[in-house]
Amino acid sequence: MSLNGKRILIAKPGLDGHDVGAKIIALALRDAGADVIYTGLRRSPDYIARVAVDEDVDAVGLSILSGSHKELVEETVRCLAELDAGDIHLFVGGTIPGEDHDELRNAGARGIFTAEMTIDDVVAAIEADLGT
Amino acid sequence: MSGPSRNPRRNLSRALSRIANADVTDTLAQQSVLPTENLPRIGITGAPGAGKSSLIARLAKLRKNADRKVAVLAVDPSSPVSQGSILGDRIRMDAIADDPDIFIRSIPSRRAHDGLADNTADLLNAMEGHGFGEIILETVGVGQAEYTIRTLVDTVVLILVPHSGDAIQAMKAGILEMADIYVVNKADLPGADLMAAEIEQVADHQSADGWTPPVIMTTRDDPAGFAALDDAINAHAAWRADHRDVTAARRARARYQTQGLISRRIDEILEAAGEDFLDQDPGALFDAIVSRLGR
Ligand SMILES: Nc1nc2c(ncn2[C@@H]2O[C@H](COP(=O)(O)OP(=O)(O)OP(=O)(O)O)[C@@H](O)[C@H]2O)c(=O)[nH]1
Ligand SMILES: [Mg+2]
Repeated sequence: MSLNGKRILIAKPGLDGHDVGAKIIALALRDAGADVIYTGLRRSPDYIARVAVDEDVDAVGLSILSGSHKELVEETVRCLAELDAGDIHLFVGGTIPGEDHDELRNAGARGIFTAEMTIDDVVAAIEADLGT
Repeated sequence: MSGPSRNPRRNLSRALSRIANADVTDTLAQQSVLPTENLPRIGITGAPGAGKSSLIARLAKLRKNADRKVAVLAVDPSSPVSQGSILGDRIRMDAIADDPDIFIRSIPSRRAHDGLADNTADLLNAMEGHGFGEIILETVGVGQAEYTIRTLVDTVVLILVPHSGDAIQAMKAGILEMADIYVVNKADLPGADLMAAEIEQVADHQSADGWTPPVIMTTRDDPAGFAALDDAINAHAAWRADHRDVTAARRARARYQTQGLISRRIDEILEAAGEDFLDQDPGALFDAIVSRLGR
């Protein structure tokens, strides 16, 4: 399996200022063949959704360490839908307690990645989801 | 998603993807005629890290207005190992990413080794007819790439930085003979004045066709430099309107685009044929490829 030809936006909404994890994922996805766009720190869901549309990505990966993952995922889903881009797949990674996973899935996250997973597992899950 | 979106921006974006992902046959089907519009194209090139993206952010802001929406195509290299890429230009264009009058699209170079993407010509054509007034193309300058970009754009801006050895290298490579405008960027760094003076001397010898390329100094926080660049681009456009050989330019573009399509077609043939296809004498291989070249 490969992510060749897939475009993925890695975005950091919210206020936390650590993007090492986001950058590591970005590089791993590149190595798996994807074209990866990174937004930089502290982007609003609205900004992220617009970039996702202009870049016509297949998926958006949100990296969230701030604890406000519920609000940020919901808001990003809403913004994507508003731009008629609700079909863009959404993943979320970061410090996300297990008890929140169901809620995030119901809100529209197709994958939830935590520090317990290896990078390879994350890439494999994204490959399986975007499927080629 | 199927069918057109109610969001025009998404339609444009997906139209570009269709061209970006199209194989050669599809590309030809989608672009069977040359675009009727002919948007002015500005090419911004220079060594990795010269400050191209940061400069485009400021330039686009100056050049866009209600009647002139600006599209930016930014090419970043694909990894030769995985074919993947980190498309990092946009992050430097933050300041304009929210502007409804500016559209930015990041594209991977894929197989191409000339700093452009192998489908840049097709993508540039696909930008026509979407209500833009101008296209800015960012490409990494890798040696001879500057010659290629010349074919595809109307105004070539070469970005150099002080003390990088750039001036000498550029002279060696003959690059200092092809730009329409030179920019000494990061002019806050020492050596900028000297470098600008050196380039000016070269540029003065470059005016055989009547256009003497200006040398402009820019610094991140100095609006005057970007305003001067904006003016220089307008001046070049005006000059070009009177002096450019339109037929020759159109032919050069047609040649570049078609050669690119044929080269991609050969890649498609080789990939489909499998490795052992290559176990032939050069003549036999050549004939075998040529016999499969048709659509
Ligand atoms: N000192 C100084 N640094 C600058 C200036 N403009 C940009 N930079 C820095 O130069 C670095 C590269 O900037 P980019 O705009 O990404 O350069 P680029 O040419 O687009 O880079 P690539 O696309 O990777 O080839 C960044 O760290 C910028 O902060 C400037 O005027 N002065
Ligand atoms: Mg850049």
